[in-house]
Amino acid sequence: MSRAEAHLHEFLSALGPAPAKRIDFLTALAGEPPPSLERLYWIARVTLLSRIEDAGRFDAIFSAYFADGALPVVEPVEDEAGAAQAPNRSEGELDTADWAEGSGKNASRLDLRHAREFDAGDASSALVAELTRALPRVGARRLQPARRGRLDLRRSLRDPVELRWRDRLSRIRRVAALIDVSGSQREHSADYLRFGHALLSTVDRGEVFTFGTRLTRVTEPLARSAQIELADADGGTSIGSALQALLDDSRHVARVRGALVVVLSDGLERGDPLPMARAVERLRRLAYRLIWWTPLGRDPSYRPLTRGIQAILPSLDSLAGAHDLPTLLDEVRRIPATCAGPRRRAAKEWQ
Amino acid sequence: MRRPSFEELGRALDEQRYFADEGLLTAIHLALVLERPLALEGEPGVGKTEVAKVLAAILGRELIRLQCYEGLDAAQALYEWDHPKQLLYARTGEATDLYDERFLLERPLLRALRSPGAVLLIDEIDRADSEFEAFLLEFLSDFQITIPELGTIAAPTAPVVVMTSNRTRELHDALKRRCLYHWIPFPDADRERRIIAARAPGVSAAAAASLVEAVASVRRLQLLKPPGIAETIDWAHGATVLSDAGVPWPTALRCSLGLLLKEAEDVEAAAALLT
Repeated sequence: MSRAEAHLHEFLSALGPAPAKRIDFLTALAGEPPPSLERLYWIARVTLLSRIEDAGRFDAIFSAYFADGALPVVEPVEDEAGAAQAPNRSEGELDTADWAEGSGKNASRLDLRHAREFDAGDASSALVAELTRALPRVGARRLQPARRGRLDLRRSLRDPVELRWRDRLSRIRRVAALIDVSGSQREHSADYLRFGHALLSTVDRGEVFTFGTRLTRVTEPLARSAQIELADADGGTSIGSALQALLDDSRHVARVRGALVVVLSDGLERGDPLPMARAVERLRRLAYRLIWWTPLGRDPSYRPLTRGIQAILPSLDSLAGAHDLPTLLDEVRRIPATCAGPRRRAAKEWQ
Repeated sequence: MRRPSFEELGRALDEQRYFADEGLLTAIHLALVLERPLALEGEPGVGKTEVAKVLAAILGRELIRLQCYEGLDAAQALYEWDHPKQLLYARTGEATDLYDERFLLERPLLRALRSPGAVLLIDEIDRADSEFEAFLLEFLSDFQITIPELGTIAAPTAPVVVMTSNRTRELHDALKRRCLYHWIPFPDADRERRIIAARAPGVSAAAAASLVEAVASVRRLQLLKPPGIAETIDWAHGATVLSDAGVPWPTALRCSLGLLLKEAEDVEAAAALLT
């Protein structure tokens, strides 16, 4: 193996792509040696990268290996099998671990001081059963075997003794829960997260976000394990900027579009409530229904009078109280009524 | 054109008035040379779908399009048995084998396999359910489809496959591993000027320059929906029509903002910027 080739393999080891991608890269180089460093960069990026989020890491490794501008030469004799079996003396597990996605994401020291482990517990089976019953459903376009519906000719033909039918599959609509985990919610956030966990085990297209000092998407960790660590628990809140962060990310927007959106928060916004009101209105237009549950709402003397709640009330489809598992369960039972009625009813109900 | 070289490809794309940068050119070139599917991602309106159309025109081949949507299944994407026809033949007793090729209805993927070297566009793959990606795996890695009743159908010549995604959800790694990947960014100012000159010929060079500069600064705003290239071209047309009618250029730009931005909040923010 020539020195240039060894250099190339070290570069690949540092990057750690899937073997198929490695073969693509080497085949591309062998077929036509790149005339410039820029072309080499693009050949490597097109063949080895598979997510734009990894581009920063890719660029760093690429410039570390090729910053001197020397182009590697790959002998065209290198065939696919040879590339596949190329020895990787320094298979770079260490390097890739250093670069693993999101490793530095919650690294703000200030926030970490308040980091706290939540024990979301097992999904309460009562909650799961109630959610399955209460959450709105949509008809998917896909068909599935059914007692009645349209004739399923394919299955009927295979076993022509009796006719078989199929009908549209119905599944639970997208649901997104936005959970406030700031200091003012301290007593309730554990139960709220349990609710989130139950939601994710019921709905296959569920999303859970938490917000305190910033917005965090916790769908994957919360679905996987009951234990999730939140960097910004018990800190301050800025609901307006957290919701705006959600709306600024087009992928998050796609996650709430047409979804039943449930916000669990007291809606106490320090400072100007206008940005929050604007974000909530946009959220309402994206959502199928927008429901707001505040931990204060169960108090008989509760009135939505704080400036923050006043500002968002006209945008809400429902405003109700829920502060622990029994009250959450109770509110879940009311979801069908909210979904059946007209929109933006909260203001009228709380008059 | 069978398999254009890198430079030929660049010239041919220019002739089709598609101005690709070095990265996209490399991606397309490699897709043709390595016979690999090309996965394109990027903001809406940067010309992902257009790549497939232009490629079909350059190579002089048929463009087969599969628009993905929620609930898309194998029957609509791969193949389906023509059951009414099977029933008819079964009644007349003409057909001994009901699972014969003549009862097979071709859907886009199967058609792409059978028409030699077609350009297949799998558009907005992220709209299909994630289960659908599994149907694509065999197709994308070996360019073949296995039909249980019939056997495996392979492509005599590999089709050119372009797959686009708006990233509303993450695609499965198994799918991405089989593809070359390219993220199409918004064009830089120079390329956007060339695009406007080609697609909106009535716009003067000075006007195009100020327009491109305005679009770049609008894209830097925190917008709900940053404008794509098609919107920029629309805006160029609209503002030119107004300025031909005697409206001063800055006012014309501001008045036709609705062509560039499609959300009231965005128009408000951009109008404030342009005054």
